Amino acid sequence: MRLMPILCWLSLFSLPLQANDVVLISGGPALRSFEKYKKASHDKYWGNFIDSALTRAEELKKDLKVEDKIVWLVFRPSYVSRTTEDQTDYLKIIGERSAKIGLSPIFFDNKNQLFTLLRRDGSKEKPKICRLEYFGHSNKKCWMFDYSNRVDGGALEPLVVHVDDLQKISGSSFTSDAECVSYGCHSGEEFSQRWRMIVGRPMVGAVGKTDYSDGGMPKLSTGKDGSWVY
Amino acid sequence: MGLLIPLFVWIAIPAVCLAPPLPTRSSADTTEANPQATTTPPAEEPPETKDDEEIRKPVEEKVFRATLAAAHTPAKHGDTSGESWIAQRTMVEDYCGWGWVKKDKESWRQARWVALEGTPRTCPLPHTFLPRPVDDKNYQYRFFGTFAPYRAYEPQADMWVDVFILKGFMSLGPAKEEIRRPPPAQASSGVNRYADRAPNLLKP
Repeated sequence: MRLMPILCWLSLFSLPLQANDVVLISGGPALRSFEKYKKASHDKYWGNFIDSALTRAEELKKDLKVEDKIVWLVFRPSYVSRTTEDQTDYLKIIGERSAKIGLSPIFFDNKNQLFTLLRRDGSKEKPKICRLEYFGHSNKKCWMFDYSNRVDGGALEPLVVHVDDLQKISGSSFTSDAECVSYGCHSGEEFSQRWRMIVGRPMVGAVGKTDYSDGGMPKLSTGKDGSWVY
Repeated sequence: MGLLIPLFVWIAIPAVCLAPPLPTRSSADTTEANPQATTTPPAEEPPETKDDEEIRKPVEEKVFRATLAAAHTPAKHGDTSGESWIAQRTMVEDYCGWGWVKKDKESWRQARWVALEGTPRTCPLPHTFLPRPVDDKNYQYRFFGTFAPYRAYEPQADMWVDVFILKGFMSLGPAKEEIRRPPPAQASSGVNRYADRAPNLLKP
């Protein structure tokens, strides 16, 4: 009987480590038919949020724990409409590019599907999220998956994660030390703080605009006093 | 000694059965990359700074629009049956939306500001027939379609605007006068309770 506490303590080490998910979210590009003639014209290149997420996935893989995996969520409808506009099969290209680094995209069509995908209970099927990063259009109030794609210069309500929607994302879906980053424009001006207060995990976001035009990871736009905050 | 053997078995069996999973493909990739790195002469490798500065080539525009200055919207396009509205194209700088829409008997004061959504393969937006989106400014149309059950988010002004789903239209020509009424200005959400909380600056 004296050995029981020791045995229990030892048996803890024989249990497998808890697996977690690293979640990367890619929003969609605008349509050039809306954006072409604007002063601040967006998304000349269709894959801004694809290339950046894949670049980041490669970075994260270097330090990824053996039991963890990267889950890549991609907003599908905008790539379908951009495919029609450019006469190029972007969904196929996304699949090919992600396969090169051992990823496969999980497509979602609206914010409710995204909320379902982010709902985790720590089980083997739904491991908790230890890191979440967003690549896409945003302002200080929301993430806009279909900015300037179905309506000119705006985004439709079912395709926007507004700060008022954050209550639908549970903090219990994340590990206690989860890190979140939004690489969209202006997220650090309000969205990050609301995320921290409602979801309960800090989120790094940009004050000012982010620039994807050079390829790879986005940078803070130069010329203004931009910074990363949480 | 007799007690230690079952104890060893009791500890060892779960440790083997419940061992952490084998390395995934990601770690295999990294190990494959290492021999290549060692076989490549270091002198031929480009400097690290150049790898980091990935500059994208200019992207070719694939959007084609009418190029004739005299191009005009068709007199009638799409499904022109059912309920209709009178619409006037109005452009507001840095503001999401197409213009104003009203019923026949209503005045323009009762008109609603809308973001316009085309119907794929049935009816695109009228200005897509013209060289530039601005080319049908202050033109009037008879719109056929419905108001969407959802709204559109206007990011510059942080507002929600109504969405009209266009199924067909008829051109009515230039309007007699411009509508100078400003578009709606209701905020997308209540007062920000967290506005007083200064964001935490990340220090490098």
